[in-house]
Amino acid sequence: MDASQLLSRRLLLVTGKGGVGKSTLAASLALAGSRLGRRTCLVEVEGRQAFSSIFSTAPWDFEEREFRPNLYGLSIDPEASLTEYLSMFYGAQRITKLVAKTPAVEFATQAAPGIKDVLLIGKVKEIERRRRPDGQFAYDLIILDAPPTGRIVNFLAAPDATTELVNVGPVRQQAQTVIDMLTDTSRTAVLLTTLLEEMPVTETAESIRDLTQLGVPLGPVLINRAVQPAMDEAALKQLPTMEADTVQRVLGDLGIDDVETSTAEELLDTGRAHIGRLDLADRMRQRVADEIDLPSLELPFVADATRPEEIVTAIAATLEDRL
Amino acid sequence: MTTLDRARERDLAEVVAERHIIVCTGSGGVGKTTTAATLAVAAARQGRRTIVVTIDPARRLAQSMGLDALDNTPRAVDAVPNLDAMMLDMKRTFDEVIDRHADDPSRAARIKSNRFYQQISSQLAGTQEYMAMEKLFDLHSTGRYDCIVVDTPPTRNALDFLDAPKRLTDFLDGKFLKMFLSPGLTATKTIGRMAAFGTGLFMKAAGRITGAGVLDDLAEFFQSFEGMYEGFKNRAQLVHELLSSGDAAFVVVSSGEPTALREARYFVQRLAKEGMPLAGLVLNRVTPALPEDLAALAARVGEDDRERLLAGDDDQRAVAGMLGLLDRSAQVHARQQRNIESGLHGLDPRTLVEVPEMPSDVHDLEGLDAIGAHLIRI
Repeated sequence: MDASQLLSRRLLLVTGKGGVGKSTLAASLALAGSRLGRRTCLVEVEGRQAFSSIFSTAPWDFEEREFRPNLYGLSIDPEASLTEYLSMFYGAQRITKLVAKTPAVEFATQAAPGIKDVLLIGKVKEIERRRRPDGQFAYDLIILDAPPTGRIVNFLAAPDATTELVNVGPVRQQAQTVIDMLTDTSRTAVLLTTLLEEMPVTETAESIRDLTQLGVPLGPVLINRAVQPAMDEAALKQLPTMEADTVQRVLGDLGIDDVETSTAEELLDTGRAHIGRLDLADRMRQRVADEIDLPSLELPFVADATRPEEIVTAIAATLEDRL
Repeated sequence: MTTLDRARERDLAEVVAERHIIVCTGSGGVGKTTTAATLAVAAARQGRRTIVVTIDPARRLAQSMGLDALDNTPRAVDAVPNLDAMMLDMKRTFDEVIDRHADDPSRAARIKSNRFYQQISSQLAGTQEYMAMEKLFDLHSTGRYDCIVVDTPPTRNALDFLDAPKRLTDFLDGKFLKMFLSPGLTATKTIGRMAAFGTGLFMKAAGRITGAGVLDDLAEFFQSFEGMYEGFKNRAQLVHELLSSGDAAFVVVSSGEPTALREARYFVQRLAKEGMPLAGLVLNRVTPALPEDLAALAARVGEDDRERLLAGDDDQRAVAGMLGLLDRSAQVHARQQRNIESGLHGLDPRTLVEVPEMPSDVHDLEGLDAIGAHLIRI
């Protein structure tokens, strides 16, 4: 799957190691999709309120809201998903409310391994399959800010585990339709987010092995905060050979002739550290190429932003050009 | 001087020199493991018998501390006298807990062979956190260490860590067991008869849609735990007391990003509410302010001058590029400081340490010492 075809899938699940910026990229993808004319839904499942914070909106809940033109968002929690599911099952609201307060539900949504995840993905499936009165799908694009790589396999394997435990009945059928969605290469792709650093690249490669075994379709790897060279290649080559007096001479030519040697040295240190980071990024690019058999999409480090939404807007603009 | 500025003037020297237990916590990917390792190395270098308990650390960091084996056993870190390290094996720790609390080996064996046990011991929410606390108490009880540094699991939410013992003991409590055995009998005063009716309905539906066999297995699992949760609860209480005492210190770790700061904020507030001792807040990978002379230099080279440099030779374009790096760094610094100010507004973190981004990945003792110089300023 080429990066330019990213938006041909209706459901994109964004995951990554903690701290690499997966929520930022999920928000950017959603914003880019909505601007490209896709009716888009951005979904949060861990209750972190990352998006209401990025977009400075009121806190999100289970109700979908249009928070930007063509862009909807909601935060899914297991309790609300179960209540909704039970109301489909029982119909009557009163009984549903009654059931929702029992220890059985607390068990299902808090303690029982896997059930929580099945409920969350089940709600995503409901959104993905929902149609408008005119027969069109409710959303052209759904971006799920999925759990981090450390939990993603358990999260996506939860429906499988359910079918292993439960052989018959509606729960089995429900789990099966969720599995169908997660493994459908025409509907779904899992996007791994990484940085050009050792630990995130290692974790990404490991996750790809696990997710491939699980049979979920993988989209391009999103490389976040890729450091951009601060100067052209010839200047970068020149930099390591430069001494403090070179810097002093260059600045002196501008009429700034009182720069201390120590200041010139500090400036050179800044340049050398930058070269170190660029070299690390290149080594990591090579590792990504060698160890990861997926296309990748690099998104720039945004330095000149004052608020989180500006970072998201800048990355979305890059994505719009590339998609 | 603001509360944050006052907190910035302190460091973690007292914590490393005196506290018996140091718990590092925070959201995922903020450098908890590295911070824990740094504090442990610093404590050991002061001659304190120290152990760092870590969970799935970066492989290279583990190797640098001599930790190749994932075996739940303390190992001496050869390069640092007085320092042991161990990686926590969740499953094995849970098995040990079962062995300790079960009154006879056959019951322990029965639990360990239950098909739900395998899943629960690795996946149940809060299990990892509970096991980290178990191990902590275990190591404390041996009396072998002056300083125990614990790196908490990468929870989905930093608060999970404090709630974990209660959640796990609640789970193993008779409440669920009774529900599975006889849903009609859970009509306690708190739940009420109507809710009991709801539970009964749910269980009937659950039985119908999952098949009765599934519930029988679960019931058997809870049955074999009967009478054991008292032991779990007492132990959890002891751990809570230990962590609330002046011997313990919590170090909350975050980055300068809003989401991580928000988690850190909740955690600091929660510790205060629980009466648990907060030692301070460590912010990793913070871009420091430019040194004054560089900031002055960047300001002196105007746009016209920069354009002239950009049109010049290799040396001139390199200088222009380096001046651009200064601008970039100043912008990131300003944004992060705004994040930190607003994220920590009205909060007293006691100690606030901002660790600058290191030039390369931290994966050896030299790197840990470099970070240590920020946590403990001499």
